[in-house]
Amino acid sequence: MEEKTEKKKQKYVTFMSGKEHFGLKIEYVNEIIVMQEITAIPEMEDYIKGLINLRGKIIPVIDVRLRFKQEPFEYNDRTCIIVINVSGTTVGLIVEKIAEVVEISDENLLPSPTIGRFDKSQQDRYVYAIGKVGNSVKLLLDPDKLLHDDMVVLEQVGGDDIYGDTEN
Amino acid sequence: MAEEFNVEGMLDMYLFENRQLLEQLQEKVLEQKDDDEFDSDAINEIFRTMHTIKGSSGIMMFDEITEVAHKLEDIFFFIRESHPDNVPHVELVEHVLTVSDFINAEMDKLADGGQADGSAKEIVADLDKFLSSLKGENKEEVIKENVHQEPTQFYIAPMATSSSHFYRIYLTYAPDTIMANVHAYKVVFSLKDIAEDLLHYPEDIISDESSGAKILEEGFKILLQAQCTLEELQEMIKEGYEISSVEIEEISAAKYQMGFDAFGSGPEIDLESSVEEIENKANQGAYGDMLILPAATAAVVEEKKEYVPGDFVIESKGPGKSKKLVKDKAKKQEKTSFISVDVRKMDQLMDLIGELVISESVVLQNQDLKVPGLKLDNFHKAAGQMVKIATDLQDVIMSMRMVPLTNTFQKMNRIVFDVSRKLGKDIEFQMIGDTTEVDKNIIEKISDPLMHLVRNSVDHGIETQEERAAKGKTEKGRVTLSAKTESGKVWIGVADNGAGLDRRKILEKARKHELLDPTRLDSSYSDKEVYQLITLPGFSTNDKVTEYSGRGVGMDVVVSNIQEIGGTLEIESTPGEGSLMLLKIPLTLAIIDGIVMQVGNNTFVIETRCVKEFINVKQESVIRKPNGEEFVMIRGEGYPMIRLGKWYGIDHCKEDTQQGMMVMVESENKSFCLFVDDLIGKQEIVVKPIPDYIKKVQGLSGCTQLGDGRIALILDVVGLLEE
Repeated sequence: MEEKTEKKKQKYVTFMSGKEHFGLKIEYVNEIIVMQEITAIPEMEDYIKGLINLRGKIIPVIDVRLRFKQEPFEYNDRTCIIVINVSGTTVGLIVEKIAEVVEISDENLLPSPTIGRFDKSQQDRYVYAIGKVGNSVKLLLDPDKLLHDDMVVLEQVGGDDIYGDTEN
Repeated sequence: MAEEFNVEGMLDMYLFENRQLLEQLQEKVLEQKDDDEFDSDAINEIFRTMHTIKGSSGIMMFDEITEVAHKLEDIFFFIRESHPDNVPHVELVEHVLTVSDFINAEMDKLADGGQADGSAKEIVADLDKFLSSLKGENKEEVIKENVHQEPTQFYIAPMATSSSHFYRIYLTYAPDTIMANVHAYKVVFSLKDIAEDLLHYPEDIISDESSGAKILEEGFKILLQAQCTLEELQEMIKEGYEISSVEIEEISAAKYQMGFDAFGSGPEIDLESSVEEIENKANQGAYGDMLILPAATAAVVEEKKEYVPGDFVIESKGPGKSKKLVKDKAKKQEKTSFISVDVRKMDQLMDLIGELVISESVVLQNQDLKVPGLKLDNFHKAAGQMVKIATDLQDVIMSMRMVPLTNTFQKMNRIVFDVSRKLGKDIEFQMIGDTTEVDKNIIEKISDPLMHLVRNSVDHGIETQEERAAKGKTEKGRVTLSAKTESGKVWIGVADNGAGLDRRKILEKARKHELLDPTRLDSSYSDKEVYQLITLPGFSTNDKVTEYSGRGVGMDVVVSNIQEIGGTLEIESTPGEGSLMLLKIPLTLAIIDGIVMQVGNNTFVIETRCVKEFINVKQESVIRKPNGEEFVMIRGEGYPMIRLGKWYGIDHCKEDTQQGMMVMVESENKSFCLFVDDLIGKQEIVVKPIPDYIKKVQGLSGCTQLGDGRIALILDVVGLLEE
């Protein structure tokens, strides 16, 4: 909204999760692959489903629906994995269905409308803006937050562990 | 001028070779630092090393390095030739180390893309003083010329055209010029661009420094074929560059062909006789030490008969080369047996071999082969051969990456030497098991932490002479560095026979810094816990901050560096008797021999070397303690037992021990049993790290790709036991 002067267009990969359409800037997306066999890792949060073998490279995959604290869904042949790369971290996102690649000009971006009640505590924090495409609306995701938002908490726990022996 | 040089590849080579040389030099020096003097081997080696460094630095035009190396070479030349008595050995050792430090520091700058701009004036002055003091004691000795021959011909690719002019250039240098040969080379180098053909005399001005003296004596002669005019040439070679006089003369092509004889002898000399003449002179020893050079000149003159000036001149390897000194030969051979490879290429190769191992098992365990009734005899034969080659390939790449700790340990030797001298402590350094081999990547990572630990031992650990005497300790202070391989890890220990850690002081300090739980009594902390406190950030028990340690940023950095590579630090100490810092570091063999196991739907791999045996035990042998812990009785002994499925909360795993399999594993002398559903097989696996995104799970050290493309998790036996 603020920078209306620049009529820049950006490409977004959009996908379905639940009833909503989500969008990710295409620059973060490495590739989209079909569902693969996932190796579970013990002691993980439910949304981290495990590891997949992407042509010899082992990458973690997360279930976007579980990440949004929505109901889990059955994986079927339309289920896809979007492989994204956010500042060096490669992660696969399991999504129900890939929709399309759309172009959204900056003037069609709106800040995510909120009354503030759900903010910070709920899943809304992953959505940094909404994009209007014709009649439909795409929720645009901040991939960095999607991956790392609560990692901060985890790291702190890990840090304490190191000195656990000596302090108690 | 140096900028015009295309030094990219040369610089790398220069740095690499000289680093190696300096490393060997240091090793040699430190080996004999406690003796009364260097043996002749060491003297020769230091002399040779400095000579080589001087030569290569001269070519690269790093004047300061050249000069320092030259000075040190002079000193060792003197020692070698005159065998002076009363050489202050320790002082000499320090001089050698200072020089090697200086050169190393300059090379570091160069490696970082900077200039070798450090000034060696002080060092040179020190060395001069040292040499003259040596000479002062041995006045009666007559020092022979520092002569050393290694002729090579310097050629410029010529391009003849009819408009070429021929010039004869005669340069003389101021008699006090240092390294006239290098200055001469600069002239040759500046002429390179315009020269169609160029010959100079003395020929070998690059590696033969005696040519410098010769240039001073006889002048430097150049025969040049070029397009430029006499005036242009005069403009290019002006006095300056220490050149005291320049004579440039245009000559005819015929005269040019005669080579350097045209300089001295009459112009009409017949070529044949000139060659013979020179040879005769040489045989008669008229040229004395210059025996080789005339022969080489003769070869050039001979060639000149067959080639029109301007044709490519083929380097003559004939008579000159064969007369090389024996010691140089040995050195050359050593060089050819090593080649330096970019580590990234090695890593790439490693990755590729990893992939090969995986795809090998994909092929060999392919579903298509499991069709009943297939005749696969030939396939299996061929496959067997392939497996063998792939295994060999792995062994080779692994051995390429494994490096003995010797060099790292030697560096520590140097630190002990330096620090103990500065602190006035008499400390003996001991190395045990320095040939233990570790992956190169690991070595790079442990060097700094180890350095810190060694410094700590020397600085804090070992008491001063007086304190030791007061305590009645008679033996010398000693720092022992040891290494061994144990249960898949390398154990590196830094031990000293000093004061040991002061439990009371540590606790006091920890209280002060509020690092302790206020509700706990001091006495409730075990020694081990107390010693671990010193690894917390901001902790230093030494009251004084010294040059070497005591700032309190240290042990925590050491620990975090070690943890980064998956290692641990253990501290043991006996008050009054010394302490031991024990690093346990994984070998990280990127390819390991593993046992693949099934638990529920998950696949795990455990390193074969950790496994003692597989046992099928009856349900009755498993005993459950009231706290839920289970142990299993095998042959009359009880072993703790971990149900892997339960441990990791995996669904659908077997409960009955008779249906599953008990894997007895051993780590650090502790044996315990893992209960798994099934064994799948033994396989070579490529260790890959679990992606950073996944937080660390206790007991898992990595993951790997199995033959069928599935991923298995690698169990870390030691990690499983950690609390």
